Amino acid sequence: MIRKVLVVDDDMEMLNMVQEGLKRYDETFSVLTAVDGLDAVDQLKENTVSIVVTDLKMPRMDGFSLLAYIMEHYPEVPVIIMTGYSTPEMERSAWEKGAVGYISKPFMINALAERIVTTLRREADGGTLHSISSGMFLQLVEMEEKTCTIRLVSKGSGELGILFFRQGELLDARADGLRGEEAAYEIFSWEQVSLSIQNSCQQKEKRIHRDLQAILLEAMRRKDERRSRKEALPAKEKGEQKGAVKDKTLSPERVKQILSTHFAEGAGVEDIYEDEAWEGLIQEFRRVATFIKAGEFKAGYVDQEAASDFIILPGERPTVISVNPKCPRDRLMETLSEA
Amino acid sequence: MMKALFRQILEIEDVQGVSLISFAGEVIYQEDSGVFTRDAEKSGVWGRLFKAMQGTREADLVFENMRLYIRRTELGYLIIVMGLFAPAAMVRMNCDMLLPALKRKGKFKGLRGFFRKKA
Repeated sequence: MIRKVLVVDDDMEMLNMVQEGLKRYDETFSVLTAVDGLDAVDQLKENTVSIVVTDLKMPRMDGFSLLAYIMEHYPEVPVIIMTGYSTPEMERSAWEKGAVGYISKPFMINALAERIVTTLRREADGGTLHSISSGMFLQLVEMEEKTCTIRLVSKGSGELGILFFRQGELLDARADGLRGEEAAYEIFSWEQVSLSIQNSCQQKEKRIHRDLQAILLEAMRRKDERRSRKEALPAKEKGEQKGAVKDKTLSPERVKQILSTHFAEGAGVEDIYEDEAWEGLIQEFRRVATFIKAGEFKAGYVDQEAASDFIILPGERPTVISVNPKCPRDRLMETLSEA
Repeated sequence: MMKALFRQILEIEDVQGVSLISFAGEVIYQEDSGVFTRDAEKSGVWGRLFKAMQGTREADLVFENMRLYIRRTELGYLIIVMGLFAPAAMVRMNCDMLLPALKRKGKFKGLRGFFRKKA
C-alpha cells in the first residue's frame, strides 16, 4: 500500500528539493505538496494522507495553525515540523500541540526520510492483510472489541479509506472526501481490499451511530441498488445518476470499451496504458483547479511537440492514451471526460 | 493594447477569462470575470505548473466546472478559461492567429523597444 506524505512549505525551492530527494522512496510513499496551510487543508480533504511534514512560517495559514487544524480534524495524521527559525520555545510548543517530529533546516534528506518511514511503520504495527473481503474481518474487530485504526485500499479503484474503532465500536470513517456513515457505506461496498492495522485510535468524536452489522447491510443494499440501476440505464446516463458513487478511474480496458462504443475507427488512438510518471503533472493541474474553483480534474490533452500527443485521465495510476495529433481531439475529450 | 489583441478570444461564446503569465509565474496580462485570483499568483501555483509542464506546447484541460486551454508563447503561457460548452477548436484557432502579434509585442519590450527606430 503506497502511502501519501504531504509536504507543506511556501519556499518553492525547498519544496522541490524535498520532493526530488524523496523520490527514491517512491515504493514506500508518494509525495504530495502544498504551498501553505490552506493549500494543505484542501489536499487533506481530497486525499487520504498518512503524514504531514510542514514548515512553520507560511502566508495565509502558518504551520502551527495547520497543526491545530489537523489535531482537530485528522487526529490520526502525524505531523512533523521542519523549520529554519528554530527556538527551544517553538520546539516545545510544537511537541505540546501534538507534533510527532521536529526537524531544523537545513537537514539531510535521508534524516527526514528516516523519520517518515519510522512514523509510517506505526500505521501498520498491527499487521497488514492483502486481497480480502473487508466485511468478515471488520466483524471480527467488533467481536474482539479492538481499538485500532484500519487503513484500506480498494483493489478495484485504488481508493483509500480509513476506519476508526474504539473497543470494537466503529466511531468514524473517511473515504473519497466523505466522512462518517456515508464513508463507511463507500468502504464496505469495495469488493476486495488490502488493509493495514494500527493498534491505536486517535479519533475521539463519534460520527457513526449505527452498529457495524446495520452499516454492512445498508452498504450491501446500496451496492445492489446501484448495480441494478446501472444495468437499467443507458451507458451515458450511468455516470449522471444523482447520489450514485462513481468509479472515478478509467482503466485502459474501460477506455478501450468506451472508445469502441463511440468511435467506429481507431480515432487516431495509438496506445492506451497506465503511467505513474504523469501523476506529478496531474497534481499541478489539481492544485490550479483549487485556486480557480474549477472542480475535479477530468481529462487533459497534452501536446509536447512529439510524434504523438497524449490524453491523460486521472486515477491512482493515471491512464494515458497516446494519439495521432490529427485525431478527433474535441470528440475524444468530450467522450472521455463525460464517461 | 494587450486588450485589443485578446478581444477576439474574449468575445468567443463562453470564454470567461484570458491571462498571459510568464514562465516564472508572474501575471503579465489578465482579463477575466474574477476567475484568476491574486492568491494563485502569490502562491506560485502557475510557476510550479509551468515547470511541471516541461515546455509543453499546449494543453487542453477539462475540469468539473470549466475548461482551461494553456498555450506556450514567447512571453510565457497563455491561459484561456472557458465554460464547458465553449467552442474549443475556435479558441485554439484564435490563439494560433494571435501568437505572431504577441511575438512582436515581446520583441519590442524594454530597452530594445525604447531604441526601436520610429517609422
